[in-house]
Amino acid sequence: MAREQFHTELLRLQQEILRMGALVEEQMARAVQSLTDQNLELAEQVVADDDRVDDLEMDIERRCLTLLALQQPLAGDLRTVSTALKIITDLERMADHAVDIAKVTRHIGAEPLVKPLVDIPRMATLAAHMVRSALNAYVARDIDMAHAMIRMDDEVDQLYRVIFDDLVDIMRRDAQSSFQSTHLLFVANYLERIADHATNLGEWVVYMVTGERKGPD
Amino acid sequence: MTGSAASPPAVALDHVSLWYGAERALQDVSLTVESGQVMAVIGPSGCGKSTLLRVVNRLVERTPGVRVAGRVAVGGEDVLGREVSLEALRRRVGMVFQQPNPFPFSIYDNVAYGLRIRGERDPARLRARVQAALREAGLWDEVRGKLARPARALSGGQQQRLCIARALAVEPEVLLMDEPTAALDPLSTARIEELMDRLRGRYTVLLVTHNLQQAARVSDQTALLYRGGLVEAGPTPELFTAPKAARTEQYLTGRLEG
Repeated sequence: MAREQFHTELLRLQQEILRMGALVEEQMARAVQSLTDQNLELAEQVVADDDRVDDLEMDIERRCLTLLALQQPLAGDLRTVSTALKIITDLERMADHAVDIAKVTRHIGAEPLVKPLVDIPRMATLAAHMVRSALNAYVARDIDMAHAMIRMDDEVDQLYRVIFDDLVDIMRRDAQSSFQSTHLLFVANYLERIADHATNLGEWVVYMVTGERKGPD
Repeated sequence: MTGSAASPPAVALDHVSLWYGAERALQDVSLTVESGQVMAVIGPSGCGKSTLLRVVNRLVERTPGVRVAGRVAVGGEDVLGREVSLEALRRRVGMVFQQPNPFPFSIYDNVAYGLRIRGERDPARLRARVQAALREAGLWDEVRGKLARPARALSGGQQQRLCIARALAVEPEVLLMDEPTAALDPLSTARIEELMDRLRGRYTVLLVTHNLQQAARVSDQTALLYRGGLVEAGPTPELFTAPKAARTEQYLTGRLEG
């Protein structure tokens, strides 16, 4: 494979990651919608479509390993390929959490919700925004954008605390609600995890561009 | 070679420039190699890599019209001065070339060659040193009992390890290796690379290679030369994953024109 073709291949890799990212975003949005609308059919679709995410991950992983083996990329090219490998792992985990949320929809079923869901969809929107920003930063190789999206994680964490207090309060007042409240708490926790994975994406973009890996705080 | 913290670098180039006639082949290169380290010198063809090696053992002097400016020190001692004996310098600085170049003697006499020049006559000491050098070069198990055979009957990879044994026999401080595996198959290359890894710590190695993966595999430090000038030198893991200079980035990713 000529060098030029290798660089074309790197661009294709990027496109595949965007495709995977779009699918993961969609899975997240549909999972939360299945919950708010108590739409079991939609929840089942989310669970079923997880295979598509896994297939994409495996396909991109294979591309990366082939590039590493045949091209033995170095410097920025090496960081681009290794970042791709890390990004797809984070994306795949996010998709798993979308499935977890869809399964909560399944558990709650048609039972009336203990409260109208406001903060959970808000948290989901924020997390989805983080994912989209991270992928935009990845394509644009824009570290300012990456840092800006990493900072959004604080907002997600704040919302998580609000939801937590809220649900604990509901459980305290109404022990009957604890099954559903606990599940909703799981959902908030899944969203918090998704935002953490999105934060990782941003950190990988910074590494890809600068070669600097930020350690744990 | 004392191991104390204050010991001078094994090789130090200080503002070295070199001209072949009117053509400048090295431009103000300053570079140090710490004792016991393997430094890879990489860069496009004609960038001055081989010239840089040959200035350390003054092999460049054989080229007519050559002129050198700056200071080159081995173990802290200036080596460019006219008063420095070439024989003494070459004993301290061994060299291995791209094409294995065994002398048309037996295996034994090849390795003993430098020792005899040095004046070693005692057969027992000669034998012990030849055997030790062959062991160090990872060739002993293949040639024991066959030391009287002509060196040129060995395979290319074995010949190259013999040349390394010949260089090591006189216990140099520095080993210069100019594309030592360019003429070898992958298996022989792997053996030479393992050998370089074993030499680390005991010898200081300056390795010129076009094989970036080889530089990445075997060296502690890497220096990139471009058009006679030093672009960047630093720890190999960093230089190959996150180089500082844009030109290094371009070279490593195949985007730099020679």
